[in-house]
This record gives sequence, structure tokens and C-alpha cells, in this order.
Amino acid sequence: MDVDKNIKILLVDDFSTMRKVIKNLLKQSGYNNIVEAEDGVDALKVLKSEKVDFVISDWNMPNMTGIELLKAVRADSDLSGLPFLMVTAEGLKENVVVAVKAGVSNYIVKPFTAEVLNEKIKKIIEKL
Amino acid sequence: MEEYDTLMSLIDGMASDFLFIDGSEIDMITAGKFLNNLEGLIKEADGRKIFQLKTVAGGVSSLLEKIVLDDIDDKEAGFNILEKGIALMQEIGESFKNTRGYEGNIENFMESIAALTGARILEEPVEASWEEPQPAEAIDEIQDDSLLRDFIVEGLEYIDEIEVNLLNLEQEPENLDCVNTIFRPFHSIKGVAGFLNLERISDLAHSLENLLDRVRNKELSVSSRLIDIILDGADALKALIVELKENMEGNPGDPLKIDLTALKKQIESVESDDSDTVEVKKLGEILVEDGAITEENLEQGLEAAEKLIPPKKIGEALISEGKVTPKQVSQALRKQTKQAADTAVIRVNITKLDDLIDMVGELVITQAMIRQNSFVLSNSDRKLGRDVSRLSSIISELQRTSTSLRMVSIKQTFQRMSRLVRDLSRDAGKKVGVVTEGEDTEIDKNMVEEIYNPLVHMVRNAVDHGIDSSEERLKAGKPEKGIIRLKAFHRGGNVVIEISDDGKGLDKDGILKKAVKKKLVDSSHELSDQNIYKLIFLPGFSTAAAITDISGRGVGMDVVKQAVEKLRGKIDIDSTMNKGSTFALSFPLTMAIINGMIVRVGSERYIIPLTAIRQLLRPEKKSYNIIIGTGETINVMGNLLSLIRMYNIFGIEPDHKNPWEAIVVVVEGENNSKCLLVDEILGEEEVVIKSLGESFKNKKGISGGAILGDGNIGLILDTEGLFELSEI
Repeated sequence: MDVDKNIKILLVDDFSTMRKVIKNLLKQSGYNNIVEAEDGVDALKVLKSEKVDFVISDWNMPNMTGIELLKAVRADSDLSGLPFLMVTAEGLKENVVVAVKAGVSNYIVKPFTAEVLNEKIKKIIEKL
Repeated sequence: MEEYDTLMSLIDGMASDFLFIDGSEIDMITAGKFLNNLEGLIKEADGRKIFQLKTVAGGVSSLLEKIVLDDIDDKEAGFNILEKGIALMQEIGESFKNTRGYEGNIENFMESIAALTGARILEEPVEASWEEPQPAEAIDEIQDDSLLRDFIVEGLEYIDEIEVNLLNLEQEPENLDCVNTIFRPFHSIKGVAGFLNLERISDLAHSLENLLDRVRNKELSVSSRLIDIILDGADALKALIVELKENMEGNPGDPLKIDLTALKKQIESVESDDSDTVEVKKLGEILVEDGAITEENLEQGLEAAEKLIPPKKIGEALISEGKVTPKQVSQALRKQTKQAADTAVIRVNITKLDDLIDMVGELVITQAMIRQNSFVLSNSDRKLGRDVSRLSSIISELQRTSTSLRMVSIKQTFQRMSRLVRDLSRDAGKKVGVVTEGEDTEIDKNMVEEIYNPLVHMVRNAVDHGIDSSEERLKAGKPEKGIIRLKAFHRGGNVVIEISDDGKGLDKDGILKKAVKKKLVDSSHELSDQNIYKLIFLPGFSTAAAITDISGRGVGMDVVKQAVEKLRGKIDIDSTMNKGSTFALSFPLTMAIINGMIVRVGSERYIIPLTAIRQLLRPEKKSYNIIIGTGETINVMGNLLSLIRMYNIFGIEPDHKNPWEAIVVVVEGENNSKCLLVDEILGEEEVVIKSLGESFKNKKGISGGAILGDGNIGLILDTEGLFELSEI
């Protein structure tokens, strides 16, 4: 099954260079419909104002971390089903378990390639 | 039965969800739901004391975590066990609901989990549960210049942020928010550097991130050493990014001189300096390890030692029982102390330390008083004599040790200065490098704070006024990049800190002109170079006319001089046109004690710091001359030195007025030497400097007072001040 490449992806990371990096990777796999936010608070604003199909978020951010954003998304009845991919470099399995319990759709560890990213996105979308 | 409803609904929820899983792969959302259910179930089972259920749910939960983390080789088997686990939980739940008990066996199931996850649960390092970083080839695709450029800009900004936040952290070591604000930028830098294939940067940032993570988890406490290392790390990171930038711009700078491996090792080896974690082995244990005694011997010995009246230490008891030789015990004791010395560091409140040093100072004085007590001096008891001299040597050792307690290396101060130079030179648009030398030189902790501001000001001056602009440098045939050299070393009883630049040197004519214009000096005077340089220390000379952000902030060199003199230090200037200037600050090593020569003038006693004295002599009559313009002089080995009659300055009636009947002490000033006329030399003594209090603080010629060994009080002379007084 081919994934619809036109899905709107929200990319959340406080480091703008990192957003650019991931955006490039997404574009390599054909995803071009991308919006950005620089932390959880910003992301929630975007999610409230436009329809987003997929969230890719960093874990470690000021103001509102990725895990807090995930919890807020899952707790919001309008957004609770949103596919949520956590990008993280936290080298601790406890973190993954926390994210999984909070309802993350999948996680991906930095650094990653375009293929791995695409793979993860496909896996999540196919389960929907 | 209602009490089991929650429990059953949790299990049944999982069972029905399980049916919807296709294939043998569980998706993360479902896994998350399961994990939450299991957590609730464990709590529920614990509350209702259904321990079999609790055990099974715990097992299933840990298995599921492994599956989620991709930590299981045989996924098929894992999936099957998961299914069995859910069925087993249903069985237990049903059984309790109906019979309030469960007779079945859960061991087999638990064993099957253990067999699958096995030792891996325990031994696999946590990191390995994560996916391996991907091969680099794909990453190259995104290696484009605009990304690199963004990274450089943003990365440098982040590091600046780190530096600021580190200072905050130093102020509030307990504030976890501070730790987070430092952790995050390292983390982000590491992340992007990983993508951009900047291995060295990502590695270093990773080590620093780990270090901070340990702080976050309270495994490490915030110490100045920790801050130092993070600063070092941030510096190196910055250097690496700057290097990257220079390479990109096509003008690579000097190759980096940072030993990254060593730095990483340092970062990884930072340990908490909480001393309470240090465990020193007991003497008995060491003896057993050495094979001197058996464990049995030790136990018997310990028992015996306790029974003895008075109780003996284990070493003594073992010796008296003939189990060990005294030599073995002393060896073991030495090992024990060495072990303690290797590991133990104790934090001590600085005020306690200061009190201790003060008390030791008092002890030194009291000891000297006893030694000079006429009863002791005239006593023929040889034992008393021996004991007193032994006491003296112990006390001087004690004094040395206690003073050394307060000594710290100047490294951190230099690092701050290097940082300052970097920031200032950037603001001034100059290229300036810093070279440090003698960073391990130790100075009094209290002095560190006192010299900080003067140093900052001088470094500012060096960057702002000392180092010339790039164009000027190139024109003068010098490398474009200026160098500021910070050097510290010990000389005699002094510590010397030199700040040199390879800039344009002090402008003698300019200084003189300005001083004349400001009426600070009479233009008719012929001044030596040294004396011209010294004009910049005069109050009111400050170059406040050109206020830049860098210097001229209202603090002139006069304030620097005052601060240095407060520490009984002095500043020497050496400068060569177009070659640069060197400012050398020298301070006495410790602030509390000086070696002094006790002299008598009439009925008064004065202490002259030994470091200032060059010579003692009784001049011949013919070497005394009065020279027009200079006044009274003494010819000392061909040099005509001005004579200062101490009794005139202090208004005392002396024993002798003729220099050839009295004694002359040749003392060295900053630039010249003079002769002090005194009646008698009483001896040499180490004295503890006592402040004369606020009202005498600015009294010229006297820097303090001290209680002498004989109990009398002496004033400590400030030679510079005396010179000035004599010139009026």
C-alpha cells in the first residue's frame, strides 16, 4: 500500500537547523506538505488552527517538551487519534516506555536516514 | 463479585485488543495501551493481594517493553508468550472471582519469559536497546552548505547561551531548570551534528550531554570543577564549530590544539566530590588482604581488642598477641592513609578555613612570645629548650599546611580572562588570540576574588588599547592576529601575574602630553620611561574621553593600582614601541603573614617587609653627602641613594642622628632604592598582619600592624608610601 505523500506533516523542533534537516529528508521521500513549529506550545497552536495529518516531534524542547505535547494531543478529543512520531536521541529505554505509554505511534532515533523515516511513517499510516 | 470488576475489565480489554492485532507484530499504540492496562492491573492485583496475578502481569509488562524496544530476537515466540500471558491472567482473574483463590501454576509461564528475555534483560547496556545509527551514505545527501551555515550560526548562539547559563548555575547549583537550559543546547547540537556527519562535534556534545544528564539525575553535584569542565567542553565545541566555519569560508585558521580525546576522558571521569561516598578500608581488612593474618585471626583480634581495658586498637591488639609484626601494621596503615588520600576530598566552608588560618596566625605569635619570654630564655632546663624548639617547628609546619589549604590554581581565572578576550576582541573587531602559561600556579583563594576586577580591567585595556588594528599590524609587519599572553609564576615569596600584548606599546609622548594637559605633572620635569608609564596610574588620568564598551568604564588604572596595593602587591610596566607591553602584577603569596625585619627607631619598633630589603649597613661618614636637588644621600656601592630619616617622618626622638652612628636599611621601591635611617636591627620575624582599622586605612607609609614575639606592637612599613612621604 502506498502512503499518500500529500499528507500534511507538522514538524516540531526548537533547533531550526534540525527542522531543515528533517524537512530535507521528508522531501527526499516525496513529502512536501510540511508545516513547522518550534516547541510544544507552538505546535498546539498550529494543531488547533489547521488540520494536520501527522506529527513529527522532537522530545527535548523548551516551554513544552515532546512528551508533554504528545500527552496534550492524546488528551484532546479532536486530536487524540493523530499519528505521532517522536524523534529523540535520549539514550534511555525508560524514555521510550514513557512515550509508548503516553500513546506515541512510533519513535525514531537521531540520526536517521530518509528511508528509515519513510519506513516509520508508512508503518504508522498503515496501522490506521 | 464487583470487587474484581475493574481487574477483569482491564484483562478483558487486553484480550479483545489482542484479537485485532494482525500478524505477529504489535503496533506501538496498542502496546502503549497494554502497558498502561498492565500497570493498572499490577496496582489492582497488589491491592487485592492476588500475587500470582501481579507476578504474571509484571512479567508480561517487562516482556512487552522488550518487544517495543526491539530487544527480542525471536519476535514470533515473544508474541506467543504474550498471548499466553493474557490467557493466564484471564484464568487467574476468573478463578479469584469465583473461588477467591488460584491453585494453578505460574512458574512455567514465568520461566518461559525468562528464557526468552533471559540474561539480556540484565546485561544488555541500555544504549543497545536503541537502533544503531544509520550508515553514513544516506546522510551525505543532506550535507549541503546552507544547512552547515545555519548550523554554525545557530550552534554558536547556543554555546553563548550555555556560557551565560553556566554562570547562573554556578550561582544556584540546586536549580534543575538551570541544568536543563544547558543540557538542551548540547543536546540539540549533538542531534544536528549527527545528521551533518560532524562526528567530532556530535561526540563531544554527546559526552557533555551525558555529563549534564548525570547532574539532572542528581548523580553529580554542581561543583566549580564541573563548571570548569563544561566550560572547557563548550570552548572546545565552539572552537570546532569555528574551525568548521573557517574551513567553509575557505580560510582555515590554525589547526586546533585541543586534545579532544583527553577532554572527553576528563568529561567522562568527572566524579561527584561529595566526600561521604568515600569508603576507606578498615585496617583489619587490609591486613587480611595482604595475607598477614587470616579472617579468623582478625575476628579473634577484634574480640580481644574490645575486651581489653582500656580498649586497644586492632593493630595494637594483633601485635601484642603476636599475630602480626609492627612492620606489617605500619605498612597496612600507610596503605590505608594513601587510599584515603587518593580518594577523599572534603568541602569546607571558607569561613571555617579563614578562622583556622587566623587561629594558626595567633598561635604563631603566641609561640614566638613564649620563645622570647625572658624566663624561657634564661632557663637552663635543656628539656624545656628542646620542647620549645620542637613546638616551634611543629607550628611553622602547621602554618605552612594551613596556608596551603586556601590555595587554588589560577587556571579558572585565566580561563575567564581568555573568554573575556575572545568576546572583547570580537566586539572590537580585532583578531586576538590568548596564550596562557603557568595555569597551575596557586594563589590564595581570597586573592582570586580580589585580583579579578583589576585583571579584567587590564585585559580590557590590552584588547582595546594594547592590540593594534589589523591594518596597523600588517603595516608594521606583524601577524594580523594579536596575542595576549597571561602568565603566572612564583618568584620568591611572591606570585607574579603578567599580562602582555604584542600590540603597539605604550605611547610615551602621548601619555606625557596628556598628563601635562591634565596638570598631573610638571612639564619641566625630565621623566624616565618608567616614570612616564606610571603616570597612567594617577587618578584622573583615565582615558574616559573615549568611552567604548571595552574600556573607559569609569574604572581607570588608578583603581587597578589601588586594588593591587591593597593586596600589598605592585604593578610593573614594561613596554616597547610597536612590540607590545607587559604589565606584571606581583603579590605576596599569602595575605596574612609576612617575613619582616624588626627595626627600632628611638623607642618605637617597625617592621620592614623582608622582600623590600636589599642591604643593611652602617655608612662611613664620607659616603654621606647633600646633593642639590636630591637632598641627603648615602653612597651605597657607587650609587647615590636618598636618605630618609625615619624619626623625621614619624616624629620620634632617635638615639642617633648621624647616619655613620646609626644603621641604614637599603629598601627597594618600584623604580629606585632609598636608605632608611634606623637606630637598631632587632631581628627577623614572621608576623601576622593586623589591619589598623578604617581610620588608619589610608595612612601613607604604614600598611598595618603586628604583634611581635615579645608582645610589643610594631607598625609594618609600606616602603612606597614612605618614599612618597619623603618626597614631599
